[in-house]
Amino acid sequence: MSTFTLEAYQNEYLPLGGTEVNAIVTVTSDGAGSPSGQPEAAAIVIVDTSGSMATPHRKIEAAREATNIAIDCIRDGVLFGVIAGTDVARLVYPSGNRLLEASPQTRDAAKRMVSGLNPGGGTAIGSWLKLAGGLFRMTPERICHAILLTDGENKHETPEALDAVLAEVDGAFQCDCRGVGTDWQVSELRRVASRLLGTVDIIPEPEAMAEDFRAAMRTAMGKATRNVALRLWTAQGAKVAFVRQVLPTIEELTGRAVPVNELTADYPTATWGTEARDYHVRIDVPPREVGEEMLAGRISLVEDDQVLGQALIKATWTHDHQLSTRICREVAHYTGQAELADCIQEGLEARKRGDVGTATFKLGRAVQLAAESGNDGTMKLLGAVVEVDDPATGTIRLRGDVSIVDEMSLDTRSTSTVRVGVGAP
Amino acid sequence: MTVTCPSGHESKTADYCDRCGAPIGPAGATAVLPVVDELDTSPSLRREPCPKCGAVRSGDDRYCEGCGYDFESPAPATSTWEAIVTADRGQFDRLATPGVSFPEEFGERHFPLSEGENRIGRSRGHPGEAAPEIDLGTQPLDPGISRLHAVLERRADGACLLRDLGSTNGTALNDDPAPISPNIDVPVTDGDRVRVGAWTTITVRRR
Repeated sequence: MSTFTLEAYQNEYLPLGGTEVNAIVTVTSDGAGSPSGQPEAAAIVIVDTSGSMATPHRKIEAAREATNIAIDCIRDGVLFGVIAGTDVARLVYPSGNRLLEASPQTRDAAKRMVSGLNPGGGTAIGSWLKLAGGLFRMTPERICHAILLTDGENKHETPEALDAVLAEVDGAFQCDCRGVGTDWQVSELRRVASRLLGTVDIIPEPEAMAEDFRAAMRTAMGKATRNVALRLWTAQGAKVAFVRQVLPTIEELTGRAVPVNELTADYPTATWGTEARDYHVRIDVPPREVGEEMLAGRISLVEDDQVLGQALIKATWTHDHQLSTRICREVAHYTGQAELADCIQEGLEARKRGDVGTATFKLGRAVQLAAESGNDGTMKLLGAVVEVDDPATGTIRLRGDVSIVDEMSLDTRSTSTVRVGVGAP
Repeated sequence: MTVTCPSGHESKTADYCDRCGAPIGPAGATAVLPVVDELDTSPSLRREPCPKCGAVRSGDDRYCEGCGYDFESPAPATSTWEAIVTADRGQFDRLATPGVSFPEEFGERHFPLSEGENRIGRSRGHPGEAAPEIDLGTQPLDPGISRLHAVLERRADGACLLRDLGSTNGTALNDDPAPISPNIDVPVTDGDRVRVGAWTTITVRRR
């Protein structure tokens, strides 16, 4: 059984009449899995074979190669399949509406089928996910994971149709999404990845696809526990203002609550390997008398109702301003990281609209936040879009000659965060 | 086991009240197994790609839009390919098709694989009927083979592809227990064994 360690960081002291309780909860998992070794898994590679994948031709070639490398990373015994996506979804391997156990023979056979794939047709991502969801639903006891590769916009179905599919397959599997080239929509793919609790990233050049697929499939194969939920109990009268994952990326979870009872709700966290994630929780509590203490929330990780670890979020009212005004470093840091992601997305949108004023303000603030927190990855991506005059004050100028790759990379990776204490103290 | 908090709540947790949070749990999960939907695996239209660069040929254009390849150019001299049909005891035993007996007397049959499509199927012996190139309609007859079962296509670039044509019992390759998907090209090379019907194995040979 994997061991989960939870720790809460907060300033529990509230002034007279104070109601807002903020806490950062760090969760680490040792990825040990069950005593019987690694849990059983199922994996599907979904590869876009729409007509646009033909140009440049190395795109489909790289996609075939990357898919084959991903297949090689699937360990023996894992149920797997390959879906080719156009305006319809097609199970390329195996045949017969089910997944097959990976073995040297089946992996080899699958790779042959993949090498026969040729581009042609449209793009309807929902239909691909629907097919994958149906296959995964047949093996609900397994850790189900998909990698989806696309190079274009979801043109051949409505956003409503995609939403309907997402609602339908939600919980059936985890899906990492990759966009190759620059003809796809960041917001669209992010929506799919967020909903299906996966990652999203850009692969600007087809050549980089193979390495990315290898990494994504290896990570998936390292997952040791499934169906782990973040369970939050809050005291009677208290209200959950928000729950969001803040490390390694910002993911809003507030709307994903599944009520367990009137005071408790579960938030999905999908699968865990050896990793650490941080969550920011804000609970609004009814104020109590000075000197009183209460438990505002109890946060735990549960797998099939078994509690794997827990942390307490407290509130204590005090007259001592030195205590109640103390800022929790972790809370401040991740509040900044969330604002950073928002600023980038809003700034890029304003830039596209031609609203130079808003774009300069938002991206300037983003530079300031990235510099303060030591988020070098985001800082570097920002540097390709803006000219930084003074990071401390967020004084910047918009660059005129921004490549679409740089803009999309910044957008895609805007939600990446860094741990507290990386920046200058 | 419950404890009573200062406000009089019965709490299952002993550190803080599980109702009001005063200093001093979770219930059943809601996991529901979902219904499996009917899957969409309809094959999309098959196109004839350029053998050189793989680009889709538009209409009957003579030259490839991608690389300028001449679709009507005479094929370069290549090696000879053939398909050798045998009856495979192992396959027969594995499938154990009821009502079918294994043909003990089965002479190897050799079919040349010519450039282009070589259909695998079963003719009925009607006069004037266009028999498939690899005709398995002679005795002893394997009842698991469709009239038009699959195709072995030798392309101008030297590749050889296997394609199941939506046969009733499917087509499998080598030791893979699963049949290949219909209407998808699967590359085959020298020594590959194409398995069809109750006992028929077609070995691809390149000389």
